[in-house]
Amino acid sequence: MYRYDEIDQSLVQERSAQFAEQVVRRLKHQISEDEFKPLRLQNGLYLQRHAYMLRVAIPYGMLSSAQLRTLAKIAKYYDRGYGHFTTRQNIQFNWIDLEEAPLILEELAAVQMHAIQTSGNCIRNITSDPFAGVAADEYIDPRPICELLRQWSTLHPEFAFLPRKFKIAVNSAAEDRTVLLCHDVGIELKRGDQDVLLANIYAGGGMGRTPMLAELIKTDMPWQDLPAYLTALLRVYNRHGRRDNIYKARIKILVKALGVDDFAKQVEEEWTHTKITYAPWTDVDWQRVAQHFTKPPYKKLPALFQEQFIQALQPNERVGFMRWFERNVREHQVAGYSSVVLSLKPHRTQAPGDATAEQMNAIAELADRYSFGELRVTHEQNLVLADVESTQLVALWQEAKRLGLALSNIGLLTDIIACPGGDFCSLANAKSIPIAKAIQERFDHLDYLHDVGDVSINISGCINSCGHHHVGNIGILGVDKDGEEWFQVTLGGAQGHEAAIGKVIGRAFLADEIPAVIDRLIKTYVNERYDGERFIQTVWRLGLEPFKQAAYADDAKEKEGVV
Amino acid sequence: MSGLIRFLRTQNPTLTQTDWQIWYPKADDDHVPVGKYIIPFQYWLTHRDNHLLLERALAGEIGVWFAATDDVIDHKQLIHAGQKLWPMVAVHFPIFRDGRGYSTAALLRERLAWTGPVWAIGDVLIDQLDQLARVGFDHFVLRADQDHELGLCKFEQFSVRMQDSWRYPRTLNPIHQAEVLTA
Ligand code: HEM
Ligand code: SF4
Repeated sequence: MYRYDEIDQSLVQERSAQFAEQVVRRLKHQISEDEFKPLRLQNGLYLQRHAYMLRVAIPYGMLSSAQLRTLAKIAKYYDRGYGHFTTRQNIQFNWIDLEEAPLILEELAAVQMHAIQTSGNCIRNITSDPFAGVAADEYIDPRPICELLRQWSTLHPEFAFLPRKFKIAVNSAAEDRTVLLCHDVGIELKRGDQDVLLANIYAGGGMGRTPMLAELIKTDMPWQDLPAYLTALLRVYNRHGRRDNIYKARIKILVKALGVDDFAKQVEEEWTHTKITYAPWTDVDWQRVAQHFTKPPYKKLPALFQEQFIQALQPNERVGFMRWFERNVREHQVAGYSSVVLSLKPHRTQAPGDATAEQMNAIAELADRYSFGELRVTHEQNLVLADVESTQLVALWQEAKRLGLALSNIGLLTDIIACPGGDFCSLANAKSIPIAKAIQERFDHLDYLHDVGDVSINISGCINSCGHHHVGNIGILGVDKDGEEWFQVTLGGAQGHEAAIGKVIGRAFLADEIPAVIDRLIKTYVNERYDGERFIQTVWRLGLEPFKQAAYADDAKEKEGVV
Repeated sequence: MSGLIRFLRTQNPTLTQTDWQIWYPKADDDHVPVGKYIIPFQYWLTHRDNHLLLERALAGEIGVWFAATDDVIDHKQLIHAGQKLWPMVAVHFPIFRDGRGYSTAALLRERLAWTGPVWAIGDVLIDQLDQLARVGFDHFVLRADQDHELGLCKFEQFSVRMQDSWRYPRTLNPIHQAEVLTA
């Protein structure tokens, strides 16, 4: 895992000192709220429904156990005992006092963390594959590039006041676990001839009011050119992106307006100049960061087979463990090791992505004992222990169960992505968390969940799409009708290389209708599926019509006067 | 006379006074008032054949300011010629959070090879000074209500930088620095 050098350390400390001074001036009314707002946003502080919210960056999802303990401490002493892991590999605290924010930033700096640019119209936290460095399908470990990008984007002087926020994701595995195409810029890394590291660049993706998938604008670019190329790209966006209308200010609108070819041409033109001015990254840069992402001291272990686990288990544990093994354990690059997803989606009891201070401390302990003191945060709002000895899986499962982190629902119907919604967010039209709970309650039967298999449900409390409802197989969006909370359902969205934006199926529903609607959608799938077909494949094969009819079955009855 | 922070690339920042004035013409203003004025580039564009204006420029009394919407790349030739005429160019910030001016300054320095002073004018706040100074600005006309003295300290809050910029190369550890320079 990356360790700060003196330069990184100075920067975060000086940054927290700078903010402390700005907060003092704000409290003395020497800065107006309007002028303070971008300053606090670029230090991670949102003014929310009830209090300030602090969003802390977890660059490309990597976290050490020491850092997690500090997050637990912040949750305990400065918040109400929990934190919320988000879809962009950040953690949010919902109950922060402005006066205490500089203290928190100092605590974070002490464990090499920060909240820099986690909000505001600037380059946000760089996200990547939570299985980076261990995934069996990886082309190359993306983390050195992610770290170089983190450094390059941190307090970039030219791009602190862009038309709108700017999100970059990096992927470098056969499967895309980063939602690459839904980012302003997606960087896909691969190996070229002689093992040289090359990048494909996608631009213009994003969700929100006008969801769009990014398009390929550049192929096979040597990694050394990334800073000059991205400078050129951001410069074109900064100068020509729309500023008159906040809803049209994202880069996707510019790319669309110019056409992808013209946009790519303008970037290319600018790049011929930035190439001269901005030194490329060098092998020295690579070495400086890559030395932190070497393999941990793996033991030589034999690969394990299922029967060997089964023998270590009590008979009454076998089904439970095997379910967990199937859903929450992943193949590793190194024989005898596995990656484990800890579910932050226990049924009913807490909001998706929430972890209490006690859980965070316990998870830090698990990371120390089972995974070289490191963990990762996933886009789906779960946590990963990446390097677990396969012989330890049973022991880990038993402990995780005690901590309420072992629900075997990864990728299943109840592994819901949800934004904080109306309970916390002042922009919300509706509450997301109670909907997530109601769905989890309805589908609490694990046998059934496992039989239904892969389905993603994503919930956003408003059109800003923090919960990524557009790319959920089933998307649920809070909408406001005459001051009442309604929920619109989209179908057919997907993440990964097959990324697709879902379509609205019809009139919106009231909150208490939603679990039954989901139930009917799933039943339709179960009735219609071919052998081995996933939910989304059935939707794509059949089209929306049969699902629509099922979802609105009651409407039809009502029309006929049956109800 | 108004307060001005001058921070040339090779010197420390200082607070000084200037007799230059910024001209924000109203629709019916048809000539530049007497004195040393930084005028809108758009005005220069439409009146540059006016010999009175040219004479005053030759006398060193006219600089130009770019609006956030002005595209300096479209006017390469003119700006190049301006190197000999204008004692400075300025970039106007209609509101502090309109970031176009940062790229304008970077382009003036990098692509248009403007070596003279670049002033930041308009809604210029002390909390943006460091960023402005890095992309290419070396003179700052702060908004009137800003604490000019405090502004002077705002360039020193960071001892390290993560990017190459007009003013500083990115900070590298001495060991790495030596290697990068020879690489
Ligand atoms: C769990 C909490 C949150 C998460 C995971 C989150 C993350 C995200 C993500 C991933 C998007 C995505 C759309 C995209 O660009 O692809 C988004 C959009 C947005 N979020 Fe959040 N956010 C959260 C909370 C908030 C809060 C509390 C606010 C309240 C101020 C907020 C304001 C916005 C806005 C304004 C957008 C619109 C962006 C657009 O124009 O596309 N978010 N957020
Ligand atoms: S989607 Fe809307 S309601 Fe949900 S967190 Fe984002 S802004 Fe708030």
